[in-house]
Amino acid sequence: MNGWYFIRLVHALRQVSLSISSQDILDAKTCLVRYPDLPRKQILKSLLVHRPRDIPIFETVWRIVIGNTESSESEYSLDVALKKDIEENRDSQSIGGQGVGRGSGGISLTAIENIPDLSNISNLIPFSRLKELVSNGLEFEDVVKRILTDLDYYTWINSFDLAYQRGALSEDEWYSHQNTRTSILNEIRQQVLMIQVTLDNSWDPLVRQHWMFKPLSSLSEEERDLVRSSIRKWARKLALRPGPRWKSNNKGTIDIARIVQQSVQWDGQCFHLCYRHRSPRAPELVVLCDVSNSMSSFVEFIIYLVTCLRARFRKIRVFFFIDSVWDVTEFVWDDDLSGVKQEIKSWGHKVSSGFSDYGAVFKELAEDKLREVSSRAIVIILGDGKNNYRFAQSEYIAKISEKVRKVFWLNPLEIKEWSEPDNVMKVYQNYCSKVYRCRSASDLQRIVKDVF
Amino acid sequence: MQKSPLDLAHELKNEGYLIGQEAAITLFLALALEKPCLIEGPAGVGKTQLALALARVEKRRLIRLQCYEGLDLSKALYDWNYAKQLLRLQLAKAEDWDKIKFDLFSEDYLLTRPLLEAILSPEPVLLLIDELDKSDEEFESFLLELLAEQQVSIPELGTLTSKTTPIVILTSNNSRDFSDALRRRCIHIYLNYPSLEREISILSSHAPELAEGLIKDVCEFVAKVRKLSLQKLPSVSETIDYARALNALQKEELNYGDLMGTLSVLLKYPKDIAKLEERLKRWETEARQSP
Repeated sequence: MNGWYFIRLVHALRQVSLSISSQDILDAKTCLVRYPDLPRKQILKSLLVHRPRDIPIFETVWRIVIGNTESSESEYSLDVALKKDIEENRDSQSIGGQGVGRGSGGISLTAIENIPDLSNISNLIPFSRLKELVSNGLEFEDVVKRILTDLDYYTWINSFDLAYQRGALSEDEWYSHQNTRTSILNEIRQQVLMIQVTLDNSWDPLVRQHWMFKPLSSLSEEERDLVRSSIRKWARKLALRPGPRWKSNNKGTIDIARIVQQSVQWDGQCFHLCYRHRSPRAPELVVLCDVSNSMSSFVEFIIYLVTCLRARFRKIRVFFFIDSVWDVTEFVWDDDLSGVKQEIKSWGHKVSSGFSDYGAVFKELAEDKLREVSSRAIVIILGDGKNNYRFAQSEYIAKISEKVRKVFWLNPLEIKEWSEPDNVMKVYQNYCSKVYRCRSASDLQRIVKDVF
Repeated sequence: MQKSPLDLAHELKNEGYLIGQEAAITLFLALALEKPCLIEGPAGVGKTQLALALARVEKRRLIRLQCYEGLDLSKALYDWNYAKQLLRLQLAKAEDWDKIKFDLFSEDYLLTRPLLEAILSPEPVLLLIDELDKSDEEFESFLLELLAEQQVSIPELGTLTSKTTPIVILTSNNSRDFSDALRRRCIHIYLNYPSLEREISILSSHAPELAEGLIKDVCEFVAKVRKLSLQKLPSVSETIDYARALNALQKEELNYGDLMGTLSVLLKYPKDIAKLEERLKRWETEARQSP
């Protein structure tokens, strides 16, 4: 393998947060030289990737660094061939005759009866169109959405969804369709990333797509699993961490009974000091979650965190709210959160107007629920602070803040959005011990360390 | 040592283990570089079986350490034979303490546990550290020296280096993540549930008494079941058990309508069984409608 490309690959992988040691490089070079007949990609993947979750990022980097050198010449011809395809498809009638939002190019998925070969998905997307969208400075997700719209993707998936619902599709066909969907999405994402990296001349776009730094609301199912597994890990570590929950003296109190007991074994001639095991104070957590639509993807993770913590932290109360409060402590502890999501949905429809009203919620809490909460409690509020132009009624959050030990606010919006006209974050911020932006897994990790 | 991944895959097949191409290459490289191999994947995909088959292929004695929460060095590495030490002390009442105090902590009084056994073994062995994710983080840190240098340190005896290089295989069900330090010292294989074709081959070789049609039907059915969102997906060994169970019931092919009551062989949680039973009705209707 060309040494220059090897160095570029290693450098790129390190840039996108893969840990590659000098020993790994030595092993890789040894194997490349010793086994020239084995596929280079497989050798490097085996020796440089240490976590299964890093494989997709390796694939993308490989495609950018090595794939380009092998296919740069074919790119132009691909684009030309694609344009021809587009011309041929332009007049074709899509399913339902909509053909909406085709933009300046792209084959309509609804016009193709079957995606012929999954390995040729890249042929569906015109390179020039991708480049044009990325050059416009749009965000990654926006570019992906535009491309999907160009492809009539949404019409296409809707037609399959409806067909499945009315029983016109068998389950096998449905699963096969789901696989095609995932492949198309992955391919588009990869292509957009490749162009972003090339145009930016930096690996930052790829780093931003790492599951730790992506907004929680835009995670894929696998990434959600990764976040959940990380949360489990953090919760486990927190339970063992000698943090501020521990009593201040280093060794705990002297255990006279054990000293005597042990000393007897030596006929009372010698003894050593024994101390009682230190035990963490049982903290009391009160979690308030805004479950309005805009917040649903974030609530899922915070509830999961609370569920994991509950094994060690016994006193936890959970309230959901939109414009009134709902005590859900009794039924959020199922590992499978689908039940909770369903409850949120039905409760939201039955009891709430659907628009958050923080003032009313804090009033209800302060007047009805606060007396059941001890002064040692920590209140964690998860909400975007969007009050829909209602009164802030900050006196109630002030009352809550006075009663409990600490109030932490976790907000999934960017900090600049906290100052928008319908957002009361700036008002409530003054009554909180600390306010955090909680948008990605890395934010969540920082908060977990800080708060618990 | 095999000459190529293909040779290795062939030898493993002879021992009854069918390995995928990617996994074969990675395992071959781990053996070539004499590095530990960390095999991860869901329960029941054949991680431990791969280690057992490899031991047979390499004609090495298998030393297995089963990990669990609370596993410590006295169970994994060594312990002193206190009873023997006490006897020695009683026999040597008249002897000079300076003479016997060194003798008491010699290898004669050492109880070797799996890790030390692998280090001290005069013939090449395969050390299987099974379900490492179940052990504590302290134990994981202790393993670093063993994995990197193939040596262990015992305070009373000093550092013991392995006489022959053992093949080290670690397995994990991903119930917790490992540190970068451990991962860096290993070559990594991720095993997933086998493809339909491979599972058919596995069943054919492990249960040759079953009819071809039944094997195909069962594998297709299990592949379908694995797409459902269940608490525990069926493992390969459960597929084999299920096929054997249907065979014992004199079934020559699989009909969705006849499966009620047999599903507990395949699935282990009542919630999962209920979910599948519900789904079977839909599959049965689909099967009836399809030509």
